[in-house]
Amino acid sequence: MKVYDGSQTEETQDVDPERIKVGIAEYEVTADGAELTTSGLGSCVGVALYDKTSAVAGLIHVMLPEAEDMDGEKPAKFADAGTELLIEEMEDLGAQSRQMQAKIAGGSDMLDFSEGGAGIGDRNVEEVRETLSEYGIPIVGEDVGGDHGRSLRLEARNGDLVVKSANQENQRL
Amino acid sequence: MKVDVKSLDTFNQLAHEGAQEATRSLCEMTGIDAAVDVTKISLIDRSDIGEELGTGQFVGVQFGFEGALSGETVLIFEEVQTTEIVEALMPGASDDEAMAQSAVREIGNIMMSGFIDGWAEHLGATIDHTPPGYIEGNSEAILPDNPEVGAHDQVFVFRSEIEWEGSSVTFFIYMLPEYEPMAELLGEHAEVDGDAIPIEKLAVFNQMTRQGTQKAAKNVQQMTGIETESEVTQISFVPIEDVPRQFGEELYVGTVVEFTGAPSGFLIVLFDEQSAVTVAEALMPVEMDSDELTDQHRMAIEELGNIMTSGFVDGWANVLQQTIEHTPPRVVHDMGQSILSPLAAQLGQSQRHAFVIDSKMKTDEVEFQSEIHALPNDQELREALEALDVDRADQTEADAIF
Repeated sequence: MKVYDGSQTEETQDVDPERIKVGIAEYEVTADGAELTTSGLGSCVGVALYDKTSAVAGLIHVMLPEAEDMDGEKPAKFADAGTELLIEEMEDLGAQSRQMQAKIAGGSDMLDFSEGGAGIGDRNVEEVRETLSEYGIPIVGEDVGGDHGRSLRLEARNGDLVVKSANQENQRL
Repeated sequence: MKVDVKSLDTFNQLAHEGAQEATRSLCEMTGIDAAVDVTKISLIDRSDIGEELGTGQFVGVQFGFEGALSGETVLIFEEVQTTEIVEALMPGASDDEAMAQSAVREIGNIMMSGFIDGWAEHLGATIDHTPPGYIEGNSEAILPDNPEVGAHDQVFVFRSEIEWEGSSVTFFIYMLPEYEPMAELLGEHAEVDGDAIPIEKLAVFNQMTRQGTQKAAKNVQQMTGIETESEVTQISFVPIEDVPRQFGEELYVGTVVEFTGAPSGFLIVLFDEQSAVTVAEALMPVEMDSDELTDQHRMAIEELGNIMTSGFVDGWANVLQQTIEHTPPRVVHDMGQSILSPLAAQLGQSQRHAFVIDSKMKTDEVEFQSEIHALPNDQELREALEALDVDRADQTEADAIF
């Protein structure tokens, strides 16, 4: 297992970390510095959590705000249940929620045909914020809203979240 | 024979689990890290199967199965990827053609026994299969000859795409069951309540979509002079989160409308960037200086999207004898998955699965390909199909006015 404990030399940094893809309504956690990626966020939201002390990181790609009547559904599809699940899974790997920091991206309001009220993108973001705040996890970086898609790469060795958009420069949160 | 969401869901999951089982066996055997990306069950014209394979040369294995279900299954990947795959299994073997073939057969064996055993176990029935044979061929020609379709010109097909992470390798599994036993099994797994729809009506809906697409294509030709040559029409059934997934990160330009009526839903017209430039410039009186997409290109796409949408929706409305209205088109230019995700999410608030209607038109003369996708409300689609008079499905042509 690769351990990134801050003592690595320049040389070991050149080794490409393992890259793990996270699909819609899926999540991944890592304790060994893998890069977690997810692509094509529209109104969906990517929640990236990082606990520096335990070097555990996790990324989830949620699609809908609330898991009401979730009977038999995947929790990872929902902003509330999914974010909770991600926190729990990271705790199982040794992370602690009080040490976690969050970065979020997505929640675009492109192609929202709903009349009146907040669109799904906004509601996804809002639900993620509420859930994180229940756990006392601060959001230290975000790139949400707008009317464009995004792809994300969470670098679990340092907690950086790189946001790519089709027509914009990459951002590092 | 009737089919409902529950039976379609059961079989979709079954195929997905089979593909996952196959992938697990592969990972254990080779140490490579692969995952099933999408699995879908579709009803499609036999001649259109494999269209998504493009023009590449493929290799893989094929075997027949018999029992509760009969038909053919193939596992294939692009020939150019053979070296990478064979080296993972047997280092040094890729230089020797015979050894490479035997490695491919071995991978096929490993994956396919997992796949078929999963099915048999779930169905609680025996499915026998023949030993896998090595196959190679050009794109769709590699796929098995007709399964027994009887009087039907459309077939069920299960497709899974498996991605090998950190490489460009994609494995495809196609399972083509014979029509009648498949339809019977679907019927047996349907709940006997009001939600079930006769299977034949799904096929009729495809014909209707084909006619809608032909109308849209005619409109494109009238406006741009570009004559399109082929259309692919299929109706697929997937979990709602897999709707955006199959579009990936590739950039598209196009239009989206919401349509209301019976059924309501979204209609998406997409062009890859090159096709968007080609078709937009065909509409413009003057040559453009830049190869990049400009606002003028986008305006042309909006116009074209509008007219394609109208053609398509008219086709449906005629057959369903319903009024279907749609919003003005919104122009989009983004990653395919990003475009589809808000639409799937809007439907996903009230349904877990979706019927996705896909059609394609293209021409070999110039760089041009366009896709039309419809994402109807699933309950309303069922109601519309229920009310559908099968005899009217051929009437969109008669009503065409240009």
